[in-house]
Amino acid sequence: MRALRAASLRHLLRHPAQLALALVGLALGVGTIVAVDIATASARRAFELSLQAVNGAATHQIVGGPRGIDEQLYARLRSAPHPPGEPRAQLAPVVAGYVTVGERVMQLLGVDPPASAELDGAAASAAPAFALHGAEEAREWLTEPGTVVMSASSARELGIAADGRFELAVGGVRHPARLIARLEDAGAGFDALLLTDIAQAQEWLGTVGRLSRIDVRVPAGAAGTALLARLAAQLPADLALHATRAEARETFAMTDAFTTNLKAMSLLALLVGTLLIYGAVSFAVLQRRSIIAVLRALGATRGEVLAMLLSEAAVLGIAGAVCGVLLGLAIGRGLVGLVAQTINDLYFVVAVSEVSVPASVLVKALCAGLATALVAALLPALEVAGSSPQLGLARSVLERRALQVARRLVIVSVLLALGALLTIAGSSRSLLAGFVALFMLLLSVAALTPAALRALAGAAAAIAARFSPVARLACADIAASLSRTGVAIAALGMALTAMIGVAIMVESFRESLREWLIQSLRADVYVSAPGVAESLERRLDPQVIRALLQVPGVRAHSEGRRVTVTSSAGALDLNAVHLAAESYAGYRFTQGEAAHAWPQFARGAILISEPLAWRLSLAPGGRLTLITASGPRAFTVAGVYREYGNDRGEVLMDLEAYRQWWHDEGIAALGIYLAPGIPAAQAVRELRSAARGRQALLIRSNADIRALSMRIFERTFVITRVLYWLAAGVAAVGLVSALLAWELERARELALLRTLGLTRAAIALLVVGQTAFMGVAAFLAAIPAGLCTALVLTDVINRRAFGWQIGLHLAPAQFGNALWLAFAAALAAGAYPAWRSARAPLASGLREE
Amino acid sequence: MLEIRQLSRSFREGARVHTVLQEASAQIAGGEIVAIMGRSGSGKSTLLNLISGIDRADGGTVHIDGREVTSLAEPARTLFRRAHIGFVYQFFNLIPTLDVAENVRLVLELNGVHGAPARARSLAVLEAVGLGARAHSAVEELSGGEQQRVAIARALVHRPRLLLADEPTGNLDDETAREVLPALLSLVREHGATLVIVTHDEQLAASAGRVLELREGRLHERRAPHPAAAR
Repeated sequence: MRALRAASLRHLLRHPAQLALALVGLALGVGTIVAVDIATASARRAFELSLQAVNGAATHQIVGGPRGIDEQLYARLRSAPHPPGEPRAQLAPVVAGYVTVGERVMQLLGVDPPASAELDGAAASAAPAFALHGAEEAREWLTEPGTVVMSASSARELGIAADGRFELAVGGVRHPARLIARLEDAGAGFDALLLTDIAQAQEWLGTVGRLSRIDVRVPAGAAGTALLARLAAQLPADLALHATRAEARETFAMTDAFTTNLKAMSLLALLVGTLLIYGAVSFAVLQRRSIIAVLRALGATRGEVLAMLLSEAAVLGIAGAVCGVLLGLAIGRGLVGLVAQTINDLYFVVAVSEVSVPASVLVKALCAGLATALVAALLPALEVAGSSPQLGLARSVLERRALQVARRLVIVSVLLALGALLTIAGSSRSLLAGFVALFMLLLSVAALTPAALRALAGAAAAIAARFSPVARLACADIAASLSRTGVAIAALGMALTAMIGVAIMVESFRESLREWLIQSLRADVYVSAPGVAESLERRLDPQVIRALLQVPGVRAHSEGRRVTVTSSAGALDLNAVHLAAESYAGYRFTQGEAAHAWPQFARGAILISEPLAWRLSLAPGGRLTLITASGPRAFTVAGVYREYGNDRGEVLMDLEAYRQWWHDEGIAALGIYLAPGIPAAQAVRELRSAARGRQALLIRSNADIRALSMRIFERTFVITRVLYWLAAGVAAVGLVSALLAWELERARELALLRTLGLTRAAIALLVVGQTAFMGVAAFLAAIPAGLCTALVLTDVINRRAFGWQIGLHLAPAQFGNALWLAFAAALAAGAYPAWRSARAPLASGLREE
Repeated sequence: MLEIRQLSRSFREGARVHTVLQEASAQIAGGEIVAIMGRSGSGKSTLLNLISGIDRADGGTVHIDGREVTSLAEPARTLFRRAHIGFVYQFFNLIPTLDVAENVRLVLELNGVHGAPARARSLAVLEAVGLGARAHSAVEELSGGEQQRVAIARALVHRPRLLLADEPTGNLDDETAREVLPALLSLVREHGATLVIVTHDEQLAASAGRVLELREGRLHERRAPHPAAAR
């Protein structure tokens, strides 16, 4: 119906500020979801591309423990007798590790070109080594030491000179290298990859005679399965055969809890956006109540009115979603760096050079925007379309209804809170259930806020009446305007609750980490080889260790080796340690008792960190099977200790036991205890000079390590802060929108007050005072709710996502941002109407009805 | 044409029940012009709401052209109203976001008349009320009298059998009212519609063929039909 559509569209266009603010709210909500999706999709894509580049056409991999695979095995497998006429598994040896070029960590991949070519077969272009085009390059690759190949873009970024000469460092030891070929158009997968000959890689990584893995390619189907079975039967007990896809899935799954948290934060922004759209549509409907009544009286059916309002919402939803997608693309580009940084800090090395925007993300965003707007509009549209079309429905009737709704919402709020409690109690491990409970709690706050606002305003009105009738009027007006302001205040209350909850959670985590660092870092100085945490090449030169321990003032030391081992539960981080007497106190047991656990540990039992105990449901007395150099062996768990350094968890083992089972003599780190009176700074200087010229080591004092750990912690929470500020921004926009509309609607009432003798300044004060009161009311409602949210975040979400137990730490500063936001939004909402009301000519103000 | 039988309606205000109509009855013939008078709060507007099916009666029936409106369910009542009843209100109730012609055309579109026929009919009826030249003006630019004439055009453009007018001159000065009233009556007569006017205005009531008074919830004949006023 053209006229009906025109009436609807023109109403929206006649209120551009209202329309714009509603669109901004929705666009921010949708934009946050798009941004998070783009950032995680880009990281995932970069990871997949790098795996593709590293794995080539391999379907499976033979992998071993920390020391890798004896290269003789590869020769044996290739020359093993083979039934004539049957296909043969294609094998290629690989030596992989991490090197540092300048400031950049790159993956070094040692390959055997002929074997890789054979494995890659038809997909030869995927084989990295075959960028060697001429015989000269091939000759250099095979005969000259230190020759490497990398992508042209990486070479440009690293500023490698025309002669190709540069230096790379492995575990702090520098080596000369020469770039003999650049891969043009190599794709993003090659961005952090350095290719060299297998023997060169072994030499640099200190793994002569050992392979990191053997890539395997078998045909699909029964023939492939038979080949794999035959291959597996030829492997020693300490080696395993995995599908490359499963390996990739398992690796990326490390980030699941992190990405789930991000998605939950982005959903929060959309949820706030939904409430705001609901508020905007409710308000638009209220504004047109009499017009809609005329339409109904003229014969427009309920269905037609409903269709008109929902069409409006759909237009709003699509426009908001399109703006949201554009905004999300912009925010997403910024977020990619933060997500990649966090993944690099916490999980694995990934270089994200391209922003990936899957079509599904855009479709999802458009659907989310449209659905959000329709769901938000449905209730007010149904209400107005279903009501009797009587004209001149008094404002008091509307407010009475709003009050009834607010009272009913208190019951809904209680039910939601109970629902949240039951969801938590009924699900002991599910992270999803944890998030459902969290969202129920936030909605419970939203449902309670309008009634809380009314109660506070009513109480304030009663008190204010003793001092000034104008102050009483201001407070009573708030109490009597729930139909206009209730939803926006609810949205603000919810966003403030989330802000307070997240702030307390982050602060509690920070405090727990600080306490843990103080307790666990017992040594005065720490020495480690630079590189990726669990990489095998991170090893201290034994001569350097001797030199370091001879430095005057070194009283005692601990030794550590951190590697990745295979277990019945997949790859696990293992920390093998020989502890100085003082170091034992650094471990705080959360399960098991130190008096029993340490003697067992010395006899070969293992200790596990809290996250691992949670993830594998292990407790003292339980057994964990690790694949040692002699095959699978079940280790008894002697205790569970607190650890915040690794969210996947780790196994702690005595260094002697580790050496016995894995035949690896390497030491990656030292904890040095100084004699009394020796300053750490002086010891660091002396230790550095002892290592100089032999190995570039990270030698840092206890305080430096603590500061570095705290810096990494802060970095990993940057993205959380960005997202919660986005959610808060959506709420602030909603509040400004609703309060602005409310105040402008009251222009006549304010003009009347001026005719009664209120000065312009008093009018301005009254308006700003009212909006500030609403902001403070939302803040006050958010304080207890924020505490509950913090409890859910620390005791449920963090526990279920990472297995950590975090003690709650409260400080006034945690409420600062929320208070600041509440005040800023409320003042922004009041400023323009205050200015306008104070300046508007009285006559026109009174005529406006 | 319009038959009101023992119509009752009361409203609850807290614990108190306020009875507005109590078995009110009346019969109005086709083409009749009837004024309904009564004190403020006597239930005149409620009566119009019940006749048009906007509100539901507690008891009694309303028949229009033999069809019982009170027993119809939503949306049948709405469909009946938009096809057979026109409304004129005291405060005009034009849609501010539509121009003059669009306001009139809206009712035709609701009744399934679109495009050129709708435009032609709305323009014709606007010319009949003397506003053909203002067809594309914004309604806010019109004077009160002009707005009421647009409302009259809107109420009659779809040729309803029954026109309900609630204080149609209540928001106009005497002079404007004297201009608007003849336009209303002549169009009603031209269309052969039945007109029920709720009013306080004795002068307006005088132009009706018959006057009913709503008192204590019942309709009382105050002045019988006059043959000259009926048409």
